[in-house]
Amino acid sequence: MEIIIEEINRGEKLLSRHRFLTDNVTIGRGYSNDIILADPHVCPEHLSLSFVDDHWLVTDQSSINGSFLANGKQNADQHRVRSGDTIRVGKSYIRLVLPDHPVEDTMPFSPFESIITLMRNPLVLGFNILLFAAVAGMMFYLNQPKEVNFNQFVVRGVSVTLMFSLWPILISLVSHFNKHEARIFTQLAISFAMFNLMWVSDVFESVVAFNMSSNWSVASLITLLPIALAFILIWLNCYIGFHMSARRRNIIAFSITALLFGGSYMLELSKKPEFTTRPGYDATIMTPTFKFSSSSSVDTFISDSSKLFTKVEKVAQEKD
Amino acid sequence: MKVVITLTLLLVSFISQSTEQAEQIFHQLAPSLYQIRLIDKASEEKSSIGSGFQITDDGLIATNYHVISGFAQHPTKYRLEYLDNNGNKGALELKSVDVINDLALVQRTVTEKMPYFKITEKEPLKGEEIYSLGNPHDLGMIVVPGTYNGLKIESFHDRIHFTGSINPGMSGGPVVNSLAQVVGINVATSGNQIGFLVPHDKLFTLFNHYLKNPPKNIDTQISEQLIGSQKKLISAMLSIPWQQKALGNAMIPIIDVPYIRCWGESNADKADAIALLAVANCALEENTYINGGFFTGSVDMEFKYMKSKKLSDLKFYHIYQQHILRAGPGNKAGKDDVTEYQCHHDLVKPDAGNMDDKAILCTRAYKKFPKLFDVLFIAASIDKGDQSLISHFTLSGVTQESALAFTQKFLESVSWK
Repeated sequence: MEIIIEEINRGEKLLSRHRFLTDNVTIGRGYSNDIILADPHVCPEHLSLSFVDDHWLVTDQSSINGSFLANGKQNADQHRVRSGDTIRVGKSYIRLVLPDHPVEDTMPFSPFESIITLMRNPLVLGFNILLFAAVAGMMFYLNQPKEVNFNQFVVRGVSVTLMFSLWPILISLVSHFNKHEARIFTQLAISFAMFNLMWVSDVFESVVAFNMSSNWSVASLITLLPIALAFILIWLNCYIGFHMSARRRNIIAFSITALLFGGSYMLELSKKPEFTTRPGYDATIMTPTFKFSSSSSVDTFISDSSKLFTKVEKVAQEKD
Repeated sequence: MKVVITLTLLLVSFISQSTEQAEQIFHQLAPSLYQIRLIDKASEEKSSIGSGFQITDDGLIATNYHVISGFAQHPTKYRLEYLDNNGNKGALELKSVDVINDLALVQRTVTEKMPYFKITEKEPLKGEEIYSLGNPHDLGMIVVPGTYNGLKIESFHDRIHFTGSINPGMSGGPVVNSLAQVVGINVATSGNQIGFLVPHDKLFTLFNHYLKNPPKNIDTQISEQLIGSQKKLISAMLSIPWQQKALGNAMIPIIDVPYIRCWGESNADKADAIALLAVANCALEENTYINGGFFTGSVDMEFKYMKSKKLSDLKFYHIYQQHILRAGPGNKAGKDDVTEYQCHHDLVKPDAGNMDDKAILCTRAYKKFPKLFDVLFIAASIDKGDQSLISHFTLSGVTQESALAFTQKFLESVSWK
């Protein structure tokens, strides 16, 4: 009869898979076995499987450490195999599957697949990394109170780029250790494309803050943009690096984003004093090129400002 | 030689005469002089001290508001006490205050009619010798002869310029002429024999007001005084035409009144600076004390012109933005006194002007004194790539009406050349 035996690790990741067309399979540390386990807690002749009366039967060969079902304490000796059973021998796990075992539906390619392929193109990847380095250098140039020479510009751009490439490299390493394909260039491609989008969203945010008056409260919604981008980045990282269900991927991407932004928000909140005499205002100014909206008149400004007085007066009366 | 000797003799006799006079004055008025003490109820120790003097035969005592401000603001935490020249102590009751002129009236109980200080009816002459009385640093009552030097011109609220030493603890003590009539009240010092006094007429007004219409609630009285004073100040500034003055390529307003004083600074001497920076700063150099952590009545204006030298517009604006990030309040105030600031911002261009600004206005309300606010305003020009003008002001203790009228005039009087 036919049986498929999978060696899996504690996390149920597949290590190897064997298919047998006999009625007898032996498992143990000895070289005479059909499946040879290197686990020192496994006996040389540990376990055998035999097809009897239309069923596969597990027989423990009086091993020292025994054989158990799944992670539990139930002895596997004389167990009648059902497809998908996991048996623990020593510290190793084997999974027994019959040929008619159902498999999951075929996963369709995500619509992102074509974008990922495009980003993975060496030219696009190179362009994205160069663009990122240039923007990083540019930010350094803008933030320096003094003039910056070209060398400093390049050094800064390269070092920030290397620092940011740690993220995709880290993800690749994790997926490698989890027996998945590392796909390091794909991870780099996607991450830098998203990092660049984050620069764009920064500029967009500034342009909106600069052009809109504080009457336009929707402006605060724009702060959600970087959060959305971070979610997409992590989602794509998971998509590329790990095989997981869509639901699980969503949960992981959501949790990491929440942890990152929620954490920094909490930190900010905890640092915020109970009362501050500092006014909190939006001081974004940009060069005349970025001015798209028309200016208000002094009268409009004065009448808009007058609402503030009513607001703070109400606050003053609320307390004690 | 003879001349020198004669002169020296004359001088000696003059000094001895004035010392004699001082001694006499002191002797005569000592029973009506007090040390005013603010006693912390929990620790039963004095928390601050000042001087005071009796102005009626039934025990009404004048002193500085700042001497008793702790009690006026926290009547449950403190009590008021006097110490007379014989070392007797007794309780005082707060009757009336004038926060603008830093005066207060307190009342002691008397069993019989007592001698008191009379308030002069005419101002002293410039150069006239006057005598300041008080208890500096809790060292005991002293008399300091000095000279009357007229009213301080750079002051919106009248103050007498007194040449003589006024020290902490003498606050609230009287300053008398040779007839022992009160011409002023010790209030402040800038060290080196420069002292400031509240003129006698302010006390006279407060006293008359008190006789006719004693205040029912000190907070309400303070509130009315602050509203009245800010109205007087702001309308005085708004009623005169503001002159235009160049700052770099921009025109800024100058409010030409003696009590607003301006200072300037630039980095023109620094050849390696990446942008030219010129700053003009105008302010009312006085304010109104409410309590140790709360001052009001200030006016501050600052104009900052910048012109980039060979910088890209992008970098120039990046640096420029740093200059408008951290504007703070112009006066000291705490959580119990004011709310947090709320701000409004917009791009603004005056109809008649040629400067496009990003304008930010922030305001906070006073908790104890309704209808009064602190205001902070910043306008940053955004229409030239290589030049910028920041125009900024703070006003404290103003009404909404005053604040907005001032803002409007301010916004409209800044332009490019």
